[in-house]
Amino acid sequence: MATKPVNYQKLNSELEQILAQMQSGELDIDESIKLYERGQKIVKELQTYLKATENKISKVQASKK
Amino acid sequence: MSEQIWSVSDFVAVLNQTLEFAYPGVTIVGELANFRISKNKWVYFDLKDENASVRCFGTVYMLPGPLEDGLSVQVNAAPRLHPQFGFSLNLMSILPVGEGSLRRAAALLEAKLTREGLFDEARKRPLPYPPQTIGLITSGESAAYADFIKITNARWGGLDIKLADIQVQGEAAIEQISQAITLFNQLPKIPEVLVLIRGGGSADDLMAFNSESVTRSVAASRIPTLVAIGHEIDTSLAEKAADKCASTPSNAAELLTPDKKHELVRLKTAQSSLNQHLSTITDNLRQQVKYFADQFINVMRQTFNNERQKLATSANLLEALSPNAALIRGYAILRSGDRLIKSGRQVRENSLISAQVSDSVIDAQVKKVDYNK
Repeated sequence: MATKPVNYQKLNSELEQILAQMQSGELDIDESIKLYERGQKIVKELQTYLKATENKISKVQASKK
Repeated sequence: MSEQIWSVSDFVAVLNQTLEFAYPGVTIVGELANFRISKNKWVYFDLKDENASVRCFGTVYMLPGPLEDGLSVQVNAAPRLHPQFGFSLNLMSILPVGEGSLRRAAALLEAKLTREGLFDEARKRPLPYPPQTIGLITSGESAAYADFIKITNARWGGLDIKLADIQVQGEAAIEQISQAITLFNQLPKIPEVLVLIRGGGSADDLMAFNSESVTRSVAASRIPTLVAIGHEIDTSLAEKAADKCASTPSNAAELLTPDKKHELVRLKTAQSSLNQHLSTITDNLRQQVKYFADQFINVMRQTFNNERQKLATSANLLEALSPNAALIRGYAILRSGDRLIKSGRQVRENSLISAQVSDSVIDAQVKKVDYNK
């Protein structure tokens, strides 16, 4: 399955942000639930990325006399 | 056979042709002496050993880096007899050889490049962590390549690795590495990081990574560089010029990407802290709602009590103010028909009136109205 190129770094920092926000305790319940769901979705996406994707190795034309 | 008599020029020309034919290019190892550069372009030196010495001539572009007398070097050159200047070796390439000279040459180059600020910490750029595209420069058949790929695959996925399969040893390596770095920097879509790796070897094997050309290419790369050459102990100039250096190719793989296993554990903890945060938030909310509910009940109870009290006082007041209470105390309400009588002027003698007392109504007739009582 062609996985959409997940930007691991970006999603990861978003997850950390969500955790920090939820910890701050300044959120109302609706925001918390929205963030909670977004956080869970990111975790699942990253888990799939880690488990599924292979590395692709290709050669570029370099002069090897 | 009559003796051949030459003119000087003919003799020089013929000898040169013979030399060119017999020795198009020779490789000689010897000690550098009387090394000098003129007009920042021409290089003159002698190549000598204990018993002999021969003059050499070349250009600065052939130098692998700064050189000094006393270094032992390996020279590729073409022996020529110059009509005016006599015999000399025309340089094709020159490299320091042997542990001592290589170290010395590297030190000279390091001093020069340090002065230029090539190794300054401020130049170092962070590497993307994790990267998605990698430009890998090494020999495809080397153990270094195999280790790097094995460890990278074990640690991380989704990487797009482009390999520039080049020689990592010998003179050709210098040019091939520099060209590979330039190649990656000119791709339409440049990789996020360049990785240059090579396993252990002798000083001669690692010579390319102490050459000026490779060191400058690494420093000049627009793409952040990670270089891991040879054993941990010695650091090549290419590693010093890189944005990040690793002790071995495997270590390079470890620096480049997180480890999937750790990340999966971290994600599990992230997941549980998400749950935990949410339950803390909902618990707080539940407590808050309970608090509000209790508050509400208290307030309600209080209000209710207040109301009841107020009601009681009004009732008492009402009771007190009600006409009936006056009647009980002996007062009476006089009416003429249904008109209330408040003053004697409202009646005349013999008119009929009714008097309401606490328990009944008495009909009566007015006898006299006396104002001075």
